[in-house]
Amino acid sequence: MSPLAQRSFWRSLEQRADTPEFRQFVEREFPAWADEMLEPASRRRFLQLMGASMALAGMTACRWPVEPIVPFAHRPEGFVPGEPLHYATALELSGAAVGLVVTSYDGRPIKVEGNPDHAYSLGGTLAWHQAALLELYDPDRSQHVVARETGPALWDEFVGFARAHFDALSATGGRGLAVLAESSSSPSRADLRARFQAAFPQARWHEYEPLSRDTVREGARLAFGRPYRTHVALDRAETILALDEDFLLHHPAAVRYARDFVAGRDPDGATFSRLWVVETNLSLTGSAADRRIALPNRALPAFATCLLSKLVHEAGAKLPPGLEGLRPALEAARSHPVYGRVDADLVLDLAGKPGRTVVLAGPRLTPEAHALVHALNETLGNIGRTVRYTEEPDPDRPPHATAIRELAHAMGHNLVETLVILGGNPVYDAPADLGFGDLLARVKTSIRLATYEDETSRACTWHVPRAHVLESWGDARDFAGTVCLVQPLIEPLHAGKTDLELLAQLLGEAPSSAYEIVRRTFAAGRGEPDERAWHAALRAGVVEGSAWPDARPTLGTQAWGERIVAALGAPAAPGPETFELVFGPAASLVDGRFANNGWLQELADPLTKLTWDNAAVLAPETATELRLVQGDVVQIARGGARIELPVFVLPGQAPRTIGAALGYGRTRAGRVGSGAGFDVYALRVGEEGAWADVQLERTGRTYPLATTQDHFAIDTLGAQERAERAVTLVREVELEAWRHDPAHALHREHAVPPIELWKPHDYPGERWGMAIDLNACTGCGACVVACQAENNIPVVGKAEVARGREMHWIRIDRYFAGDPDAPEVVHQPLTCHHCENAPCEQVCPVAATVHDAEGLNVMVYNRCIGTRYCNNNCPYKVRRFNWFNNHKSESALEVMVYNPEVTVRSRGVMEKCTFCVQRIQHVRIHARNEQVRGENGRAEGRLIRDGEIVPACAQACPTRAIAFGDLNDPASRVGRQHGSERAYKMLDEFNVRPRTAYLARVRNRGGHEGAA
Amino acid sequence: MAEAWDNTSDDPTRRAPLVLGAADFGSVTQKVAQLAERPKPPRAWYIAFGVSLALTGLLGAMILYLFTTGVGVWGLNSPVGWAFDIINFVFWVGIGHAGTLISAILFLFRQSWRTGINRFAEAMTIFAVICAGIFPGIHVGRVWLIYWVFPLPNQMNMWPNFRSPLLWDVFAVSTYFTVSLLFWYMGMIPDLATLRDRATSRVRQLVYGMLAVGWRGSNRHWQNYERVYLILAALATPLVLSVHSVVSFDFATSMVPGWHTTIFPPYFVAGAIFCGFAMVLLLAVPARQWFGLEDLITLRHLENMNKIMLATGMIIGYAYFIEFFIAWYGGNAYEHFAFVNRALGPYAWSYWIMVSCNVIAPQLFWSKRIRTSPWVAWGVCVFINIGMWFERFVIIVTSLSRDYLPSSWGVYKPTWVELCTLLGSFGLFFTLFLLFVRFVPMVAMAEVKAVMPQADAHAPEPTPGRHAHPIASRGD
Repeated sequence: MSPLAQRSFWRSLEQRADTPEFRQFVEREFPAWADEMLEPASRRRFLQLMGASMALAGMTACRWPVEPIVPFAHRPEGFVPGEPLHYATALELSGAAVGLVVTSYDGRPIKVEGNPDHAYSLGGTLAWHQAALLELYDPDRSQHVVARETGPALWDEFVGFARAHFDALSATGGRGLAVLAESSSSPSRADLRARFQAAFPQARWHEYEPLSRDTVREGARLAFGRPYRTHVALDRAETILALDEDFLLHHPAAVRYARDFVAGRDPDGATFSRLWVVETNLSLTGSAADRRIALPNRALPAFATCLLSKLVHEAGAKLPPGLEGLRPALEAARSHPVYGRVDADLVLDLAGKPGRTVVLAGPRLTPEAHALVHALNETLGNIGRTVRYTEEPDPDRPPHATAIRELAHAMGHNLVETLVILGGNPVYDAPADLGFGDLLARVKTSIRLATYEDETSRACTWHVPRAHVLESWGDARDFAGTVCLVQPLIEPLHAGKTDLELLAQLLGEAPSSAYEIVRRTFAAGRGEPDERAWHAALRAGVVEGSAWPDARPTLGTQAWGERIVAALGAPAAPGPETFELVFGPAASLVDGRFANNGWLQELADPLTKLTWDNAAVLAPETATELRLVQGDVVQIARGGARIELPVFVLPGQAPRTIGAALGYGRTRAGRVGSGAGFDVYALRVGEEGAWADVQLERTGRTYPLATTQDHFAIDTLGAQERAERAVTLVREVELEAWRHDPAHALHREHAVPPIELWKPHDYPGERWGMAIDLNACTGCGACVVACQAENNIPVVGKAEVARGREMHWIRIDRYFAGDPDAPEVVHQPLTCHHCENAPCEQVCPVAATVHDAEGLNVMVYNRCIGTRYCNNNCPYKVRRFNWFNNHKSESALEVMVYNPEVTVRSRGVMEKCTFCVQRIQHVRIHARNEQVRGENGRAEGRLIRDGEIVPACAQACPTRAIAFGDLNDPASRVGRQHGSERAYKMLDEFNVRPRTAYLARVRNRGGHEGAA
Repeated sequence: MAEAWDNTSDDPTRRAPLVLGAADFGSVTQKVAQLAERPKPPRAWYIAFGVSLALTGLLGAMILYLFTTGVGVWGLNSPVGWAFDIINFVFWVGIGHAGTLISAILFLFRQSWRTGINRFAEAMTIFAVICAGIFPGIHVGRVWLIYWVFPLPNQMNMWPNFRSPLLWDVFAVSTYFTVSLLFWYMGMIPDLATLRDRATSRVRQLVYGMLAVGWRGSNRHWQNYERVYLILAALATPLVLSVHSVVSFDFATSMVPGWHTTIFPPYFVAGAIFCGFAMVLLLAVPARQWFGLEDLITLRHLENMNKIMLATGMIIGYAYFIEFFIAWYGGNAYEHFAFVNRALGPYAWSYWIMVSCNVIAPQLFWSKRIRTSPWVAWGVCVFINIGMWFERFVIIVTSLSRDYLPSSWGVYKPTWVELCTLLGSFGLFFTLFLLFVRFVPMVAMAEVKAVMPQADAHAPEPTPGRHAHPIASRGD
């Protein structure tokens, strides 16, 4: 709507302005302006506000996008009401995009899925991609421009201010102007940045990410003289060594890498990789490791050096000519304490396999260590085979840690008079010693574009609401440089602006709409505006052929060889009385940006299973030594800074180290995220963002932690039983044994088939079933959030989770095996097994849960009276009860997130996984409507094809660990998996005859242990 | 006691009298009927009634809160979907069993001593079943649809699931309540007629008259009465065994380790009789003292009940043992763990409360001195009732809290709402009981008279002076 249209519309109704309803409305919507509003004097002001009110009043209604969007899959020429449409878009996180496909019902986006055509999704997503939807409908999202002095304002007021302010600035070339932007790969933003810097040559542009991967970049700069991005082919590697690199979760290419990693571990394939992980905090990747070594974070660079030394000195690896400068370091490494920790098996696994191994290192390692990892890959002959390089964009950009420090320095010297902050949240997540909040207060004019009016926005003079990604036009590059287009699913609900629009506005340039800016950038690369290419790219979500070409940099050691020797001199373990605190991303909140997302807050950490909180993670050994138990509050001090954290005891944490997740303890996140957990950024001071030496002191207090598993600190008896049961519930097989004799590798019991009490059901048509490949599941939790989004599952909050009342229909059980100091971890996703002899069905007094004609164990919500007997009798405990009305006080905005195909359950009703019955029906209706000639020559609906029905969990899974289909068809994917020698059914001995088969996990420990 | 005549002697050559004191038909009538006829009960009754009524109000408030907010106000969760609700249900249903046993089985076995306590016990049955019936009714998530558990014809042609033990419960408990109520009321008709005839006010005449349904004490009436009484006793007898067996099926037919055991039906029935007798004694000891009924509810009655408690206590002690034996002998790892976890796991405290109260405490009844000391026995009965409540807690909560998948193990902690609801159910029970002692003859006068020596035409001539000449009271 143009401002003009708004005004003329309201002019005809202005006589209504003095009614009591209107007064109430104003007081409710604009408390700060109520007086002025009701004062008839300022007529112009009134009209302006009414325009805004109209926009806000209309925001909860679904509106049609004004700019043309091409549907992704269905009926581009038209629209059938009630029929979902799919649009391709992309979500960028810290400078790398993942392609998405969003389902929209009647103009309302209701589900996010991965874009199968995008190489870094292949249809899969991670939890936060799924949860982006909830953020769209978050009522806490900032809804209007805010001027610090006067309160809520209009976009036009901001425009008026900005025009005057930046006109004045351009006169001085932008002296005193600085921009602090979050990392972005958007070509359009890069273009606007160039224009911005041309318009304001004196202005400084800084980029900052709290969880930066810039050490990786700087490592490449050391090794090659220029930053290059490393790409690895995990599917082709026989040995993978991850040095503190969580490539399955916290990596820009995690979705793709997870798929590749699993592809390289096909038990029936020719090769099966072995994953070695050396790390401090137990990560998701560490939980997938075949062999894992836990070391303090500070020892990891030395570990890399020692490994190379051992390879060269003991395994006969030849140091390439360019790396001769490393000789002194390799010699020195032989007497390093960590040298002995380099497992001989690891050396054997890496040596003599040119191009069949890969070494990765994570962002907590030093640049020198990264340079050394390049040397390792070079020595092992991997470069050009399993490791390739592309140029990094914006190579001259200073590292994030340096950039924010420079900005803070300038602010401290009052050199910044106008600061534009695009996204991010530096007041919360900048290094604590900078005192960024105080510095920001000194800046005369600060403009903040953000989704929420958060910690940073409250310290700025102007806050501009940012459009959600699903409301935005934009573009972004994925990890390999391919451009993905971001298209809106809905017009901005709260009149938010994208960073492109804000920058264009500050520049005072036309075009000012993000759509036109993106089109301009798109066209710029091809000379001529190409309508057809644009539509093709929109439909696919990706711009073909835009990836960066491979580069062949040459490795040299001049810049860093000396420093490696020096680094070896540093202590390899924390001193007495000190502990090493290792900072890490929160499993689902990442750096804290998702703190107000209930789905992500309630998604359990894959390893601790904690929700709504972070904790000081200690190894059992360390906790015993300090006589601390789970939930004890400890004070952690680093210099003058101190925080309090509850203790969580997790096997696998390196001894005398503390794992602490960032991203919690927000103060201005919103109603959901404020006050959840503890702010660990307060301890992140100085240059080092990876780890810190800290003192630990008990406080004597305890703090309740809410976990979705092990709801209490378990007693010895229970722990022992749990360990014994876990091996029968989650089956594993050693690769050697599997290869030797697949038929007997699982040691399954043979029982006399039980007698059926009653006549089994007959399934002439389809017989739905599921198979979950434990060898493919990484435990990332994307399925949990996907299910939550698809099936309208409520968020219940910390107190209810602590009581054991979480509502997730699919959960991921995590068990530890073996030595608690060097545990092996298994993840087991669990949904309703749709048992043939369902124990739940037999005990329901009102027959509210019954079998349907295709073998689904269906839950009839309307019939359920809520005795909970079914859940008592469910051996898998997958049923969830609505203890309260979980949808009581939802606003009209919040309810828009619900999938219209799925019932929203009332209180007192039991619910559980339906195998996404709505998706089954959707496909069936389409199959029936597609007329084909049947056997008798008459036209009839076609059969449902295998793979056509994909439940939400299976769809989201980055590794396709979940298969769904017709068990009557032995050739179907699920049918083949049920027939696999690896297939087993959990608790089958009770004759419940579950529909879900698990495929045993294959371990490739190798070495001595593997011989067993 | 009016006369220090010990009727607890075990001398087999002499039949111990069932009624003590210088009782004749008239004095029995007088003694019992006057309690219901007093214009004002003693102050203690008012206090007790006030407290009970307040607790009943608390029950109502808790139920109202539950209904308006949801079952989440209780501490339940997944995996522990049942706790106080079903514990209280089983507890109260169990309590009721002693009444039916006394009135029906002991009647069929011609145990004449039952007459002193059967009215009492039957009333207790009715009130306990009322308390019990509340819990399954309110524990469901959508309480407004609770009628769906009844097989009511409906336009959807939707019937309940006849395979569900919960449905069997509905039939078992409703049958039980109906038969118990009929039995109690039927047996009370002659006594109600006595009250009608003795009534001094028009209102009492009318009310008792209506309740007495025209009883005139004619021979024909007595004949019909005796026959119906016998038939109802025969009907009620299987119920004593079946109701708690069916209740135990809720657990026994499920597949929860710790629930899925075949010993449950007899074990539950024995437990029910055990705690039911404890509750009768709990009520009888104060009542006989405060209302001066020592001659009618004699020490011998109490001792007999204590002996039954000793026997049934041993049965459930044996059941506790055999459960463990089978858990070991059966070789099922899940069941094995369920029982080890009961005795040594996080809820071990509740298990040992149960064993101490149910197995160890009744051993005191080996001593005759304790059996015949009403208030000591009363104390033991308090423990037995606590123990039996905890037995249900142990069975339900410990089994559910740790079933098959260790990932889904949980803990259950009751909320204040559950505690208040339990307390409130006692309030309701005592309120009903206090109303009973206030308005209804609490001892079956007609039946007691029938077992007095005077009723026996062939009885030896009473010692002169001990009994007055029988005077047929108008009621019998």
